[in-house]
Amino acid sequence: MQNLSELTRRLIASQVEFVLVGGFAAAAHGVTLITRDVDICCRFSEPNLMRIQKAFADLHPVHRPRTDLPLELTPQQCASLKNLYLKTDLGAVDCLGEVLGIGNFDEVLKNSVELRLPCGSCRIISIDALIRAKEAMNRNHDWITVHHLKEIKKQQSQN
Amino acid sequence: MAENSEKNVMEETSSTYGATGDGIDLSLLKDSLSMTPWERMQANDDALNFADSLREAMEKRNAKLK
Repeated sequence: MQNLSELTRRLIASQVEFVLVGGFAAAAHGVTLITRDVDICCRFSEPNLMRIQKAFADLHPVHRPRTDLPLELTPQQCASLKNLYLKTDLGAVDCLGEVLGIGNFDEVLKNSVELRLPCGSCRIISIDALIRAKEAMNRNHDWITVHHLKEIKKQQSQN
Repeated sequence: MAENSEKNVMEETSSTYGATGDGIDLSLLKDSLSMTPWERMQANDDALNFADSLREAMEKRNAKLK
């Protein structure tokens, strides 16, 4: 059973410093395409990575490229990681140190807005920045998302 | 008269529920925008799980046919 909303709630509850990006951010903005993972851009500091580990501790988190390796971060690993691709019992989580077309975590944070949810607040990449990021990714499905996001902007400006 | 009325209805429904030039279903998009972000995130989860259950059912069916 996939539950990307619960994964997001756990990140908020564990006070992870992150910005929601990617397809799930697009869904939160209103895009009707289905996404299979939670993409976040986060600060790759040891305390923050440990908070991520703690958030998913009981969900059997493993490294997605090597599912035989459980998530057991050490300070040495934390110092060298650029991205972290996880698989958990509730779905996949991609933790990115930077977003193509936007920049590092601080740049992504500058290009984010507050997202108020029943379980608390977090940051989400703005529609404009998400369009830039998706354009930079330049894959077929990214362009479909760009069309959706532009239509959402149009609809919102009409209301 | 009836023909005109039918034509008007068709024009109205196609302009309201029709796709944009980019093929986006506006009725689905408007439904989505009427929800809160949390509801949209949960709708994604529901759709994802439904798609997975369909895929599983198809795999079981295909295995039986072999």
